Amino acid sequence: MDSDCLSLLPAVCLVLADPKQSPPDDTSLEKLLDWFKELHSQSNGQVLLQHQPCLLEFISNVCTSKTTDPAILSFTLKLTGLLAATTQGFNLLDEGGLLVYVFEREAWGVCDLWEDASVRSGWLQGLLDMLKHQQALGFICGNGLIKVILQLQNDRSLFVACLANQLLVHILNFLTSSNMTSGSDVVGSSESSLRPDWVSASSEIMNAVVEALSSEDCPRVLQGLRLLSLVLSQCGEPIISTLWKDVLVPLEVFVNRGSESLIQTLITVLEAALGTPLLSQSEYKVEELLEAMLGDGNRKECFQCAALIVKLEKCPEVLKRKATDIILLPLQCVSTQPQAEKEINVVLKEQLSQKASCISLLMQSLSSLAQLAHTKYLFEDISIHSITSSVALLLRMCSGHCPSSLLHINAFTHLIGCCKVQRCGLDTLGALSVYEENLDLRKDIFGVLLDYLQSPDSHATVLKKTFQAVKRWIVCSPFPDLLQFISHDLFPVLEKRMCDLRWEVRDSTLEFITQLTAALNGNSGFSEALHTSGMVSVLLSSLADAEGYVRASAVAAVGEAVTASFHQTVLVSNSKLLEDALMQMMAILSQDTEGFPRRAVVQAFTSWLKGSHLIMALESSLSSVLSLGGSDFDWEVKMHTLELAEVLMEKTLTCCPYAVQNFGSSEETRFTQALIKFKDFGLFDLLFNSLFDCDRPVCEKACALLVKLGTLTAETADLDHSILVLNVCGNRWGDEVQRRYLNKQQAKASVCVTNGVTGSDEGTDCDLHCTKDISLPKILQILDLDDMQRMLTLSSDHVVNSPRSLMEDILSAAQQSEENIVDCY
Amino acid sequence: MKLYCLSGHPTLPCNVLKFKSTTIMLDCGLDTTAALYFLPLPLVHSPRLSKLPGWVSKDGAINLEKELKECSGRVFVDSQPEFCLPEKELLDLSTIDVILISNYHCMMALPYITEHTGFTGTVYATEPTLQIGRLLMEELVTFMERVPKAQAATCWKNKEIQRLLPGPLKDAVDVWSWRKCYSVQEVNSALSKVQLVGYSQKVELFGAVQVTPLSSGYSLGSSNWIIQSHYEKVSYVSGSSLLTTHPQPMEQSSLKNSDVLILTGLTQIPTANPDGMLGEFCSNLSMTIRAGGNVLVPCYSSGVIYDLLECLYQFMDSANLGSTPFYFISPVANSSLEFSQIFAEWLCQNKQSKVYLPEPPFPHAELIQTNKLKHYPSIHGDFSSEFRQPCVVFTGHPSLRFGDVVHFMELWGKSSLNTIIFTEPDFSYLDALAPYQPLAMKCVYCPIDTRLNFHQVSKLLKDIQPLHVVCPEPYTQPPPAQPHRSDLMLELQPPPMSYRRCSVLGLPFRRRYERIHLLPELARSLVPSEIKAGVSVATVSAVLQSKDNKHVLQPVPKPAPVPPSKKRKRVMEEPPEVLNPKPLLSGAVPLEPFLATLHKNGITEVKVEETADGHILHLQTEDVLIQLEEDATHIICDNNEPLRTALRDLVLRFLQKL
Repeated sequence: MDSDCLSLLPAVCLVLADPKQSPPDDTSLEKLLDWFKELHSQSNGQVLLQHQPCLLEFISNVCTSKTTDPAILSFTLKLTGLLAATTQGFNLLDEGGLLVYVFEREAWGVCDLWEDASVRSGWLQGLLDMLKHQQALGFICGNGLIKVILQLQNDRSLFVACLANQLLVHILNFLTSSNMTSGSDVVGSSESSLRPDWVSASSEIMNAVVEALSSEDCPRVLQGLRLLSLVLSQCGEPIISTLWKDVLVPLEVFVNRGSESLIQTLITVLEAALGTPLLSQSEYKVEELLEAMLGDGNRKECFQCAALIVKLEKCPEVLKRKATDIILLPLQCVSTQPQAEKEINVVLKEQLSQKASCISLLMQSLSSLAQLAHTKYLFEDISIHSITSSVALLLRMCSGHCPSSLLHINAFTHLIGCCKVQRCGLDTLGALSVYEENLDLRKDIFGVLLDYLQSPDSHATVLKKTFQAVKRWIVCSPFPDLLQFISHDLFPVLEKRMCDLRWEVRDSTLEFITQLTAALNGNSGFSEALHTSGMVSVLLSSLADAEGYVRASAVAAVGEAVTASFHQTVLVSNSKLLEDALMQMMAILSQDTEGFPRRAVVQAFTSWLKGSHLIMALESSLSSVLSLGGSDFDWEVKMHTLELAEVLMEKTLTCCPYAVQNFGSSEETRFTQALIKFKDFGLFDLLFNSLFDCDRPVCEKACALLVKLGTLTAETADLDHSILVLNVCGNRWGDEVQRRYLNKQQAKASVCVTNGVTGSDEGTDCDLHCTKDISLPKILQILDLDDMQRMLTLSSDHVVNSPRSLMEDILSAAQQSEENIVDCY
Repeated sequence: MKLYCLSGHPTLPCNVLKFKSTTIMLDCGLDTTAALYFLPLPLVHSPRLSKLPGWVSKDGAINLEKELKECSGRVFVDSQPEFCLPEKELLDLSTIDVILISNYHCMMALPYITEHTGFTGTVYATEPTLQIGRLLMEELVTFMERVPKAQAATCWKNKEIQRLLPGPLKDAVDVWSWRKCYSVQEVNSALSKVQLVGYSQKVELFGAVQVTPLSSGYSLGSSNWIIQSHYEKVSYVSGSSLLTTHPQPMEQSSLKNSDVLILTGLTQIPTANPDGMLGEFCSNLSMTIRAGGNVLVPCYSSGVIYDLLECLYQFMDSANLGSTPFYFISPVANSSLEFSQIFAEWLCQNKQSKVYLPEPPFPHAELIQTNKLKHYPSIHGDFSSEFRQPCVVFTGHPSLRFGDVVHFMELWGKSSLNTIIFTEPDFSYLDALAPYQPLAMKCVYCPIDTRLNFHQVSKLLKDIQPLHVVCPEPYTQPPPAQPHRSDLMLELQPPPMSYRRCSVLGLPFRRRYERIHLLPELARSLVPSEIKAGVSVATVSAVLQSKDNKHVLQPVPKPAPVPPSKKRKRVMEEPPEVLNPKPLLSGAVPLEPFLATLHKNGITEVKVEETADGHILHLQTEDVLIQLEEDATHIICDNNEPLRTALRDLVLRFLQKL
């Protein structure tokens, strides 16, 4: 393939370098670059350049042309960088001075192309790609390119600025590693072993960072901080400590000034510093700086800072405690009574009295709390009990209830009906369920959650969060009166929610029931409550919902309910339930106009089959499910049907409950019996039909299953082929099998002819005509499944997506544009 | 300018505004909550109600067995229900010039105001307001007249007796002013006084003020009113809604720059969001139907019912209610459903555009066509033969004291499968249910009130910025049941003026200007002189003619030419002597130049004393005082007229003359 492509390359280069041609779109150029990258990784650059002199010519043409398009120039810069990534390639390009020509923008035919951001970005990318060896480093340092890169660091295009930062970090890293490889790793003396221009390069970069941080220009400071954080996270010693010493003073200034626009970036810098050895050395003051950012919790920006610190992974414990105390302040301030002796935080109070800041503060507080709860953080100064009560109270305030003792804070009116805080609060409340200390609060918490479920004003998304929280609290530790709560309080609300006007609510209610049933699987009390409370009949009636998504969720819920019912002792109602469920589900599978419910039906069967209880009960419906699911026009239904077939195969072949349990019957007999069962279920029809399906994933899955089956068949030596004969007439897969069969026979015959064997061999003749029934092993053999599987693994666009077609596209586009010109005039 | 408040009910207002020379009544709402003190009027004989024990005081001293009945521990008046009228004593109703109606719910007391009071004015309302108002009145009359009660209970109203009655009857106020329902004749007579107006139509009242109805977005034809003279503007906002329901949206911009805004008719249930309630309504309805029960919706025959039907139309299929019949039972059900479809110009844009397709604007037409919604004038007749269960019944009256709803309460109250869903916010549902206790049927309270809530109102007021706001007292404090909800009240700067029943408010602005027209010939004769850039003044001598509150300045009629007659003129005929008016002076006397002028005229010894208002000049030789003040100059000079005149002329030199 590549040699084909390489033959097209000169023509492509000509087209690309031709200023009269409009350049191909960015994607094509990117794909072309990808191809070069791949070539480059396979061979080395020298070979390519040597064999393709057209590339050198192309590069030089583009750079000298007076009418180069920015996209082509950008492409050329990147390409040159790629080609120069090996020393041989570099030397080849450097020999004719081409490299300098490419990366010295003054040398270009059109100087103002630099104004185009894509060109600047291509220039940086080229250098970044090139920087794989010391010569490249020497080239950059020697030609004064560092200065240009540093300028680009403050480019108006964010992409360019970001790339420049990456390049600078890469250079610094390269300087260090070159140093390391040269054998000196003693801090302090390291610089002495570097080439003088390299030393000046590294100090140039580091000075630039220090200068940026001392500047008054906020965007410049931000870029400096970004570079600093990159250096901290990606570079090693001695760069880090050298740089840190220089930037410590301006950093301290920023921290003490508390400028709001810098906080996020400052925290990123400090976060990066936490991951370095700087943390352990007190003279570098990393911890001190973070602590200073927090202050005493009485600065406007300390909350944002605390929220960020709480998220830090490697954070000193003391600092985390302090940040935690601060981030909890807004929550406590709103939901607890002020203590006379405690000074009221004036800044906080003022922020809470304004709606926007009040909401964002509380959200920060709540989400940080949730984050801490996820790690089961141990709170020290404040009990988790009181924190949880505060969250519950806050949620009550959001729905308009407020104890008069809390009216001192103006925040209450901002909170009423505020969905954002409600959602965040519910998430947090759910997360807090992991603390055992909260168990005695459960009654209160379920009260809040029930209020939310009952309130007509609860937004659909709020309800969804409420369901999640309820589930977490129920599942965390089942309590004695859990069932009482579920059947007396929860179920009536759920029943109403399943009649909600909004389908989203009905859907999430059903999802909740499914999850709850699955989570409490094995709890016979729960499944009994589910049946006796009439919930099941409500679930069954939801199967006829007008909204497809809801029907799908109802199918899943009914599926779980059926599974749960088999833990119950009263079996009479269960078989009735299964019967009803099966009837309605089969109706959905055969008639529903939407894909989701049909997919859900097949999935429900799969999950039933996975559990061992139901196999016998499902037997009568399985063949219909396989045939309906296999002939569905939704490819996902077909996929799910194949998954069902897979489970069926696994279950049957491992435990084989259908096989006549003859004592002493051999493995082989059991296998044969299983295959007969599969045939009865129509499993082979499904697999073979799917093998020739129009959707590739379906074919792939079917093929995989057939390969598995084929292996097993092959392993079973004395399999009686005559028992497993399949009719190959009258269906698509049969025709295909017949065609292949005949092809093979003919090939065999022609081989015979060429070998001089004439006359009719009886067997061949017979095989040629009697193709109506073929045994399974034979079919598997005819189909050459391994080859099919290999073909199927290639993506469906593997033909059109090749570099060759890409190049042909570029060429034909160029030709067409010429033709068009002719057409027009 | 004064406001007389004849009703304290915030959503059933009745106020009278005296503005310039006009007396304008703003709405005349009828408070029907008094009906809750009465026993229901059953359409079909109810053994339960007829067997209720009469009430006798514990000591047996008072026996009102005939008038009062006991039911589930509460006492009800066994008589035709009565209503609480707007206050009639505060003001002579015959002096009212016009009545402005804002929506059909706020005109139910009209016959009490226009009939038998000497009222001779005009009532202004939009066409849907008149037509649907008429339907509601006729329905009310039919409900009452259909079940006549022989006796009228009055003994219990005796103050001495009422004091001893059990609550809440004991606490009922103004019971003597309660009246029975009006008759059809009174309705017709009252409505004949209505003059129809369209939105933004300007109606002149006696040339003094102009009134304009604006769409208020609450119900079909509902309006807010602007009452303005040339220099003053009063806005009357009553029952407005910003939600997208069926009526035309609320017109807000014309309410800007009001001197006074009278704000009534906010939502009665500020904590219930209509969308949430609608959802609640649908889910409860569907739950009941799924379980095989019936749903009873006590409602008015116009208004929210259109939205409910539209919502159910969309919801029915998704909730598998496709085959459940909906019944709408009211003496005016048919007219109400049909009227709603013909008032296209009063509907929201979305519905208006349907008319051009052409399609009926409301989907209930389709429900009727497909037989899913059936309407009947009453439970008697066709309904009884066609009725099948489970079903949903919409019927009145929401007080549950009269109308067909009484029958369904008796019929379905015993089964817990059935549900009654209250959607109208006017009545406390617990009070409404009181005479039906003990009740097995489920009760759901989903009040749907689309009128402005406090949040919307404060935004609206921020936008239109009236100078003063007048509102019912309850709006100035949080609801009594939720004293912590400071968001459920009006917080304005300056604070709103609040009123209660029988308040008389002096509205806080003075009329300062009046517009007067100059006839062209008079204008031509004026000689304006510019006193500062852009401002000219002129003196006018003219005759002011005021007619129909319009003022015109006409030239003074010239004396008729004296006929040449030798006869001695009679004194009587002598035309009044027209004296040339003295010139008007303007300007100020500057101190220094004035002193210089005095000096030039030989007055040299002047002692100047500064005072609070200006200066006092003491001409010592002449012993004369000249007081120069901002708006006056006095020359105090004893018995020296020539000197005074000379000094006066010196002062006049510095002033301009007109």
